[in-house]
Amino acid sequence: MATVSYPNAKVVQFINKRMIPLQVRFDAQSIASDFNVKWTPTIITLDYNGREHHRTVGFLAPEELIPSLLLGISKVFFDADMFDDALSNLNKLLSEYPESDSASEAIYLRGVSLYKSTHNAKSLKEAYERLNTIDPKGEWTKRAYPYRLL
Amino acid sequence: MGDIIKWESTMNAALLRARAENKPVLLDFFNPN
Repeated sequence: MATVSYPNAKVVQFINKRMIPLQVRFDAQSIASDFNVKWTPTIITLDYNGREHHRTVGFLAPEELIPSLLLGISKVFFDADMFDDALSNLNKLLSEYPESDSASEAIYLRGVSLYKSTHNAKSLKEAYERLNTIDPKGEWTKRAYPYRLL
Repeated sequence: MGDIIKWESTMNAALLRARAENKPVLLDFFNPN
């Protein structure tokens, strides 16, 4: 991460604009124990109260790191019932990084966010259909499978 | 060369900035070895 992803200009711009970056040594601070971190790199998205909303373990290239962070930001808003803000970040992820590994979870979370903000179950079914089109055997397609019946 | 990431080094400092700027925190654990 330190030699490839964090020096990347787009990553630098994104993180400095959208997040407060905090870097700690895995072996030097009790914070690693507080968050039960056992391996590096581990990247966690927290809200401003210090609550965890999203976690990844392992290397992420720049084109995967930014959408993963967008997903984390979306989850911060989703967990606070701020669905318009969650949707704004999920739409950005899906428009700018549609091929990323975070895209399928973003489609799922977008469908749920739309449902929770409109109470229209059609958004859940549309999320399943979109997932089934792009990745029929994918993890998030399986998780959305019951929504095909709505 | 362009800018670099402006890392905080303590949780307290990061949360203070996060509240002031209304942003989430990216917490990165790294192994220097």
